[in-house]
Amino acid sequence: MIDFSVYGEQTPHISGYKCLKCGTIFYPAPMVCKGCDAHRDPVTGKHWEQFDLEGPCKLLTWTRVWNLPEGFNRKFLMFGMVEFPNGLRASGRIECVGDPVIGATMEASVIEADERPGAPVKVFQFS
Amino acid sequence: MSARIGIVGIGHCRFGNSSEYDLVDVIAYSANDAFRDAGGLHLRKEVDQVLVGNMAAGMFNHQTSVASALISRMDMEPCPAELVENGPASGASAIRLGYMAIASGMADVVLVAAGEVMRVVSGWEATNIVATMAHTEAEYNMGLTLPGFAGMFTRLYMEKYGMTERDLALVAVKDHDNGAKNIYSHVQLPVTIEAIADGENANVVNNYVAEPLRMYSTCPISDGSAAVILVNMDSPKAKLFPKKPIRIAGIASATDTHCVHNRKDPLVLDAVRISAEKAYKMAGVGPKDISLAELHDAFVIFELLNSEEVGFFERGKSFLGVRNRETEIGGRIPINTSGGLKAKGHPVGATGVSQVVELVRQLRGEAEEGRQVKDPKYGMAVNFGGFGNNVVTTILAKD
Repeated sequence: MIDFSVYGEQTPHISGYKCLKCGTIFYPAPMVCKGCDAHRDPVTGKHWEQFDLEGPCKLLTWTRVWNLPEGFNRKFLMFGMVEFPNGLRASGRIECVGDPVIGATMEASVIEADERPGAPVKVFQFS
Repeated sequence: MSARIGIVGIGHCRFGNSSEYDLVDVIAYSANDAFRDAGGLHLRKEVDQVLVGNMAAGMFNHQTSVASALISRMDMEPCPAELVENGPASGASAIRLGYMAIASGMADVVLVAAGEVMRVVSGWEATNIVATMAHTEAEYNMGLTLPGFAGMFTRLYMEKYGMTERDLALVAVKDHDNGAKNIYSHVQLPVTIEAIADGENANVVNNYVAEPLRMYSTCPISDGSAAVILVNMDSPKAKLFPKKPIRIAGIASATDTHCVHNRKDPLVLDAVRISAEKAYKMAGVGPKDISLAELHDAFVIFELLNSEEVGFFERGKSFLGVRNRETEIGGRIPINTSGGLKAKGHPVGATGVSQVVELVRQLRGEAEEGRQVKDPKYGMAVNFGGFGNNVVTTILAKD
């Protein structure tokens, strides 16, 4: 029997973190909960929950960068900072035509990027 | 804090392209300059502690143990020596730790020398190396760089307070005017508002780097070094140094979230405000007592934001002060009389010490003609590490 669930695991994800003791949520991962001082063990993840950060979000600000670092063979890239409905914020790339508008609702997804040397990395893409 | 600690020697090289020279030689140049200023190279034997500020020699120059190398290059064995790395605030952090070494009683004379040689790599690679100070997973991996953050930051400020791109250009014109008169500046050319904002070719001359930031809104990539000699003004060794010390009246640091997006308001620089409040308290002065300030302006928006956080202007009003020429030499509060990072240059590890050297020159009355602030009493320097997540504020006094 083919187990299709393995294909799901190959989809890139970026996680938010929830302290199960007090409910405070974080991105990126902390080592201590600022709500209740609970420790997060990065190996066991015990007493913490991980959840996917994606979907609708509000654009807080953006830029179009023309002097990209070594490895980026593109003329420019747009970057933005967004806020998710749960209050978490993130920075990532923007893919859209023309200039985005501050306050607009965008859709966050996760892609793999390999411009820099080393293993591919997970990147937020807001569109 | 009861210790009276002063600066009795300053050294500086011209910022620019030193890529054909060895990093340790570049730092030693300013250290030697500081000893000559203090009274002679023989005084290096009186030093109890050497602190070297440097951000990324391991990456730029493939070199480590820079402090040990400097000791031997200057014939200073067996003096204790350590490297201080705190991103672009490495220089001011080294001064702060030097102050702490003297205040603790473990040293009476400290040499703080700082430098960076960045132009041995391409501009793209330098931008990438500097970006490693960002959060690896949540910022650096996204492809974000410091100009990218500054671009987002500037757009938010413009949206909220009504500042224009022309206002950014006015800051650059003022900084380049000062930098053109500074013998240590990387860029010694004044620019006009017509050339970079109002003229028909301005979009070409002053192209976008990270919208809405343009080339004249960002600092150059520079090599260079600076050094200061700190002395316990109440120790017998102080008598060995002929020049009247410029006293460190206040020095303090503070931190903020590593990820910029995790700040309640991304436009509020808590670490700048808190470090300045602590430095004011230590010095027993307030914003109105400051005669001039060197504010970390890797991007001109930082000069504006820093001037608000340290209390020179209300929030969202600093660009109006620039329009009114309040931050020029001769204005209400001269800012970046050296040309700032914008024109003087920004060898990242050296910048914090370079800012303090400029304050000492001004407080001694030794700045070049046309650049000297009239009868200054207190000078402030804000050295910004990371994207505002590790900041050192220093207040110097002419007693």
